[in-house]
Amino acid sequence: MPVFFKSALSYEPTDHELEKASNSYLMSLVAVMAGLPIPIVNVLATVGFFFAVRKGTPFVKWHATQALLSQLSLAIFNSIGFWWTVGIVFNGELPTNEYFTYLFTLVIVNLTEFIATIYSAVKTRKGVHVQWWVYGELTNRLVKT
Amino acid sequence: MNVRNLGTQILLSALVIGGIYALLYQFDWMKIFNVEETASKTEQRLGDLYYELFEMEYGEVEDEKIYNVVDSILTRICEPNQINRDRIKLHVFNSDEVNAFALPDDHLVVFSGLILESENPEQVAGVISHEVAHIELNHVMKKLVQEVGMSVLVGSTTGNNGYGATQEIAHILSSSAFSRELEEEADRKAVEYLVKAKINPGELADFFFIIANEEVEGMEFFSWISTHPVSEERAEYIVEESQDYSFEIDTLISWSTWVQLQSDIKALD
Repeated sequence: MPVFFKSALSYEPTDHELEKASNSYLMSLVAVMAGLPIPIVNVLATVGFFFAVRKGTPFVKWHATQALLSQLSLAIFNSIGFWWTVGIVFNGELPTNEYFTYLFTLVIVNLTEFIATIYSAVKTRKGVHVQWWVYGELTNRLVKT
Repeated sequence: MNVRNLGTQILLSALVIGGIYALLYQFDWMKIFNVEETASKTEQRLGDLYYELFEMEYGEVEDEKIYNVVDSILTRICEPNQINRDRIKLHVFNSDEVNAFALPDDHLVVFSGLILESENPEQVAGVISHEVAHIELNHVMKKLVQEVGMSVLVGSTTGNNGYGATQEIAHILSSSAFSRELEEEADRKAVEYLVKAKINPGELADFFFIIANEEVEGMEFFSWISTHPVSEERAEYIVEESQDYSFEIDTLISWSTWVQLQSDIKALD
C-alpha cells in the first residue's frame, strides 16, 4: 500500500547517492519493461541490485531495501496468480469467479505498485526521502539512516 | 490510531486489499466473459468433429438389436447413479478392435470387438462404467488440454491445425491412456457405479486379468487393454474398492440375449 511519508534525514546525501537510490526502484521496473512478466524476474533484478549496493551508504542501502521488500511481497501475490493460471491452462480446468477476482485484484495492486515505484524513483532522485506505507516502517527496522 | 505503527499499517493494508477483492467478487465474471458457454461450444465442436472422423473410419453398427442391448446396459448403469442417460451419445462401431473410449461432449464409443471378446455382459458393463466415469469426471477435456493444449484444440474446431494435428488428437482420444491418477479415479468411480447398478464389479477386474493372460496374436487389436496398463495392483484395488461396499447382484441381461448379441455381431461381417 504505497501511502508515503516524507522523512527528514540526519545527513544530506550526495548527488551520486541520490542517483543510486533512485536506481533501486528503477531496477524492478526494468524487468517488466523488458517484457519478462514472470514474477520472480522482478525480484531477481531487485535482489541483484540490493547485493550490488549493500555496502553503499545508508541512504542507498535504505532505498534498495525498501524496493526489495516491496518486490518480495508483490512476487508472492503474483506467483499465486501465475501458478493458478498455469494450473488452469495445463490441467484443462475452467477458470472460476474467484480466479478472475484474484486476477483483477492483482492488476490493481501491481498498477498501484508500478505508479508508486516510478513516483519513488523520481522523488528519491530529487533528494526526497520517501517512505512507503508498511515497507518504510519495515525498512526502518532493518536499516538505519 | 497511530498510522506510523507497523501493525496498524499492515492491518489497514490487508483491509484495503480485502475490500478491493470483496468488491470485485460482486461481479459475475464467468457470465461477463461467457466462460461456460464458450467452453461448452468448443467441447461440442470437438465431439462432433471426432465422432465424424471415427464414424468415417469404422462405421456405426446399424443393427438396432445390437444397439438396444448395449443401450440397455448403459441405461442400467446411469439410472441408479443419477446420470442423465440422454446426455450420453452412445455409438457402437463395427471393428475387431477390443476398444471403448469417450469423446468430448459426452460421446461414448464401444467397438463391437470388445463385446465379442468379453465373456459376459457384466464385463462389457465394467468397461462402459469406466468410460462413463471418465465422462462424468470431465477427464476427456482435461486429457486433451494436457496433451495438446487449448490453442490446438480450439484451432482444430476451426480447421486451422491441418490434418496432422487432427489425426494426433484422434489417436490420443482412441488409444492413449489417461494418466495413472485419472485411470485409478475412473476405476474407483466405475466400481461405485456398478455396485449401485447391482452389477458385479469383480467382472471388471476379471476382464483385465483374462485379456492380459490370454496369449493373443496381434495385440494391436486389444487397444483398450494395451493402453490401459494391466497390473495386479490395478485389479487389486478394484477388488479392494468393491469390498468397501455391501451390494446385491441382479441379472444384467439374460444369457440368451447375450448369446444372441454376440451372434448378431459375428453376423455383421
